[in-house]
Amino acid sequence: MSILAGRHTRVLVQGMTGTQASFHTKRSLDYGTNIVAGVTPGKGGLIHLGLPVFNTVKEAVNETKATASVMFVPAAGAKSAIIEAVEAELDLVVCITDNIPIRDMLEVKNILKNSHTRLIGPNTPGLMTPLEARLGIFPENIHRKGKIGIVSRSSTLTYEAVLETERVGLGQSTVIGLGDDLVIGMNFVDVLQEFMQDDETEAIVMIGQLGGMFEEQAAEWYKNCLNRKPIIGFIAGNSQAFSATVGYAGDIITRGKITAEDKKEALSDAGIIVVEQINRVHEALAKLNLATDD
Amino acid sequence: MNIHEYQAKKLLNQNGIKIPKGKIAYTANEARHAAKSVSAKGPWMLKAQIQSGARNSGHFLEPRAGQGGGIRLVKSIKDLWSEADSMLGATLVTQQTGIRGQIVSRLYVEAYTKVGFTFYAGMAVDRTQATVTLLLANTKDNDINTIAESDPEHILRLPIDLVVGPTHAQTGKAAEFLKLQPRSYDSFYLFLRGMFKTFVANEALMIEINPAGVMKNGDIVALDAKIRLDDKALFRHPENSRLKDDYETEPRELKACKYGFTYHEFDGNIGCIVNGEGVAMALTDLLKRNGSNIACWLNVKGGVDRDKIAAGIKIIATNPRVEGIVINILGGFVRCDLIADGIIDAAAEVGMNIPLVVRFEGTNRDDAENVLKRAGLPLILAYNMEDAAEKIVQSVQESE
Repeated sequence: MSILAGRHTRVLVQGMTGTQASFHTKRSLDYGTNIVAGVTPGKGGLIHLGLPVFNTVKEAVNETKATASVMFVPAAGAKSAIIEAVEAELDLVVCITDNIPIRDMLEVKNILKNSHTRLIGPNTPGLMTPLEARLGIFPENIHRKGKIGIVSRSSTLTYEAVLETERVGLGQSTVIGLGDDLVIGMNFVDVLQEFMQDDETEAIVMIGQLGGMFEEQAAEWYKNCLNRKPIIGFIAGNSQAFSATVGYAGDIITRGKITAEDKKEALSDAGIIVVEQINRVHEALAKLNLATDD
Repeated sequence: MNIHEYQAKKLLNQNGIKIPKGKIAYTANEARHAAKSVSAKGPWMLKAQIQSGARNSGHFLEPRAGQGGGIRLVKSIKDLWSEADSMLGATLVTQQTGIRGQIVSRLYVEAYTKVGFTFYAGMAVDRTQATVTLLLANTKDNDINTIAESDPEHILRLPIDLVVGPTHAQTGKAAEFLKLQPRSYDSFYLFLRGMFKTFVANEALMIEINPAGVMKNGDIVALDAKIRLDDKALFRHPENSRLKDDYETEPRELKACKYGFTYHEFDGNIGCIVNGEGVAMALTDLLKRNGSNIACWLNVKGGVDRDKIAAGIKIIATNPRVEGIVINILGGFVRCDLIADGIIDAAAEVGMNIPLVVRFEGTNRDDAENVLKRAGLPLILAYNMEDAAEKIVQSVQESE
């Protein structure tokens, strides 16, 4: 097993005919991802990378029974593309697109409330289930199939976490980048819930950072979680310098001042193993005494 | 993107919010004309237009600008002219500008408006809830930052529906919280609706009216205003893109912007080039652990190519604080060989004479490492982020 997407997930690619999308779709196909179609309005009927292209998500779903989508649509059209995927009742949308206006994402979040569709991203490297499904832009060569679930707010630190599992001979069940934007779809709690129920996942690495209260929510949830698996947590952004310059000033007035230290404390209190440096995640993993993955 | 007070007030006023009569001036003579046109007899407020809070408690670097801060009350036209003359072209330093301050190139001349009770009103995106939140606070005893940090429960926070806006029930609750008099209710309702309309119509990320005041007749007036717009939505608001004041941005940051990078300066001595904000933060933390501090980071974001990395190095190398550079690039589809070429290009152009630590992860890494080794540059390869931080701190210390 794996979470949210695996070898049997039928995937379509929204905006597949674009340059970046073509490049990554081809790589994902070569990796063995079960991509069944592409969607580009106005290009229906075309065959691209050996796959049929449809004008709408609905058509593509009707013809191919796809249940998930990876999206490379340009920012200006991303909102309607996500809404289209929600209306076609896809289970999962992974939105790679960067630079989507915040108002569009606020509207999308409202629409998601009344649907079963799960959104990962935007501005994310996507989802990776090693040897099964690559929904996004992950560098597949660093992954190995295994028992560690990884969920991260920072795109690039996700790769760092993957490399850490590798250092102690462990692989990943599924790796998810939540996305670097202010307003995102799935959050820590949503993903952690999935990992807790996944047979294959034995431990989880979560990578948080300054800004928002997503780590605190995760800690609160974990406290009351039954049958919990170990979580190793890392938070970026300790240096005092950030509070004024970086991130989003709205955080302080909407939530009060929250430091990386506060976040780490919340995680520790909930029983999450907090590591001070990203490159020490492997030490914490080693202490869990899990059998290595081959 | 932030805009100036007078621009923010104009947007708010277009959406029904009362503002004092005011006019912008670039010279002392213009200030005199402006003063006469906004109020026949005064008094007037002279307000330095730099994009920073706490202008009133700030000070000017140049003695000729006098002891006063960036906001001054003047009672005669003669005083107004000389005060304006002394402030224009001078450098205002506030808690938010950093020690270098910001040159004042324009003044907003306003008719002094008498108010009784004043309060803070803000509207911002709360990312945790994915909603727009209205914030109100009584700022009689403390400024909003102090309240937010030490007394956050004294801020009223109301989630605002993106379609409906603040409802009568919400504005009623807000008026009660601020203990407004009934005769202010109508004006207060229009004030909050006006904030919301401005927020939505311009796709703002944050609006702050600090303070808003209650006039003698009960009307609510915005005495100061700050608006941050969503850069990502500016393509839908070409009229707002024109409000960008390039002088407000550090020249290196401006240059970085042109390449689609983000750039931040701090007060340490190590420059970092990374792809991703999380990595930037983690690397800064690591430098600190090693007893050093970051001078700046440049986030080249996502995919990186030869030209981008060369441009990045050139930007960072012009920062006089930088005594060593770390390049930590990994992920998506980084072609290390192309980055190596970019490093060599830039090094050739700027004459690299400070330590440079490179750590990358991606395709063709071995080729890239060979290319860099052959280039004979003073650079050190690192195998991960922790290693990179240790190596740069060490080599900067050694080169001192």
